[in-house]
Amino acid sequence: MSRFLAHACTFAIGLLLVSLPLSNAFAHCFVGARFFPATLVIDDPCVADEMSLPTVDWFPTPGTPHGSQVDISAEFDKRITEDLGFGISDVWSQIRTPGGPVVQGLGDLETTLQYQLLKDASHETAMLLGLIVDWGGTGNVNAGIGTPYSMLTPTYYFGQGLGGLPDDLEFARPLAITGQIGYQIPTTSYVLSQNLNIPQVLVYGASLQYSMPYLKSEVKDLQFPDFINHLIPIVEAQLFTPVTNNLGNPSTTTGTINPGVIYIGSTYQIGIEAIIPVNSASGSGVGVLGQLHFYLDDMFPNTLGQPLIGGTSTPSKTPL
Amino acid sequence: MRIRITLVMLLLGAVGAGAARAHAFLDHASPLVGSTVATAPSEVALTFTQNLEAAFSSVQITDGKGVRVEQGKPQISGNTMRVGLKAAGPGRYQVHWHVLSVDTHKTEGNFSFTVSGP
Repeated sequence: MSRFLAHACTFAIGLLLVSLPLSNAFAHCFVGARFFPATLVIDDPCVADEMSLPTVDWFPTPGTPHGSQVDISAEFDKRITEDLGFGISDVWSQIRTPGGPVVQGLGDLETTLQYQLLKDASHETAMLLGLIVDWGGTGNVNAGIGTPYSMLTPTYYFGQGLGGLPDDLEFARPLAITGQIGYQIPTTSYVLSQNLNIPQVLVYGASLQYSMPYLKSEVKDLQFPDFINHLIPIVEAQLFTPVTNNLGNPSTTTGTINPGVIYIGSTYQIGIEAIIPVNSASGSGVGVLGQLHFYLDDMFPNTLGQPLIGGTSTPSKTPL
Repeated sequence: MRIRITLVMLLLGAVGAGAARAHAFLDHASPLVGSTVATAPSEVALTFTQNLEAAFSSVQITDGKGVRVEQGKPQISGNTMRVGLKAAGPGRYQVHWHVLSVDTHKTEGNFSFTVSGP
């Protein structure tokens, strides 16, 4: 196919996507009056039709003198049914080390299957179960960015809004906590070529977020400028602790703490966070992370925003 | 280049879609969310970020004893929902709304306001 035809096809696909009819769809991560935004480091506690494109980060790598790493990733999530979702993501990384070669390439393809266990509107509670699979051999193994083995990570996710706090604590009601805990199991315990044990790892994280939209619409309208009312200041953290089969590897917990802010638009959100390593094994300085995220159920509620099976076309009235 | 073109189209789609469609958030209310007013209002008005489906949108207002004090059915026009209030004395009032935007996204919320009295 000529370059012109290829570009024409791509343009046509793009045009089709933007001109699809918009009607009949349901929420991303709304739980009663609470909206949980898509968090940048950990995952939010809902299945949804959404897309992160792109997520970009830069951070100084561990070591002295340190190098640096840039990651550019994309993620697409789609509901299969109202409660079952599927996600696919990948990352391109470039790692620079002082005096060494620049290595770059794709990481392992990652897929996620998630099931919505609970959405309790009155208590602003959400729970989700998932299985994350990093498919070995799909990334640049030679550069050390991909791995020759796969990893399975069954993961539990939760979200809890604090809207039920008493009136004395009304300004704490916009707070919400989300979190996840997973157990990463590699499909091999030893890589012969590298004489390396591959540990099983506890992967866990949490976010604390303060929703200005919630403050304005549920607690007290303080007449802030509109821009302020779209912000959700947030602190995320993600940690990795080797649990078993870690012989010969550092046994340190690694991870980052990520303070930042998310701007909520009507069909998208933009987030920016700092990357602060929790110790010298996690990094050697502060990095930065940014993400543009689209709510596909709002953008294309009649097509991409519907579950593949059992999409509802006529809403049922919920009496008050 | 192909990725770039698709990205541009998706961004255009996001902007275009965002202009008219999405979940209906409460933009502002009268009386203001969480406010204290001297005299009881004759109606409560809620303005949302999206137009509403009248048949699937409603509001309930209760006083401090949990007694419903809204009067009649809410009147919905575009993105605004209004409902009358029965003669109400001083106290705290709870507003619970439940709406469907025109593209059938459901949202709900609660807030209170206080009538301080003369």
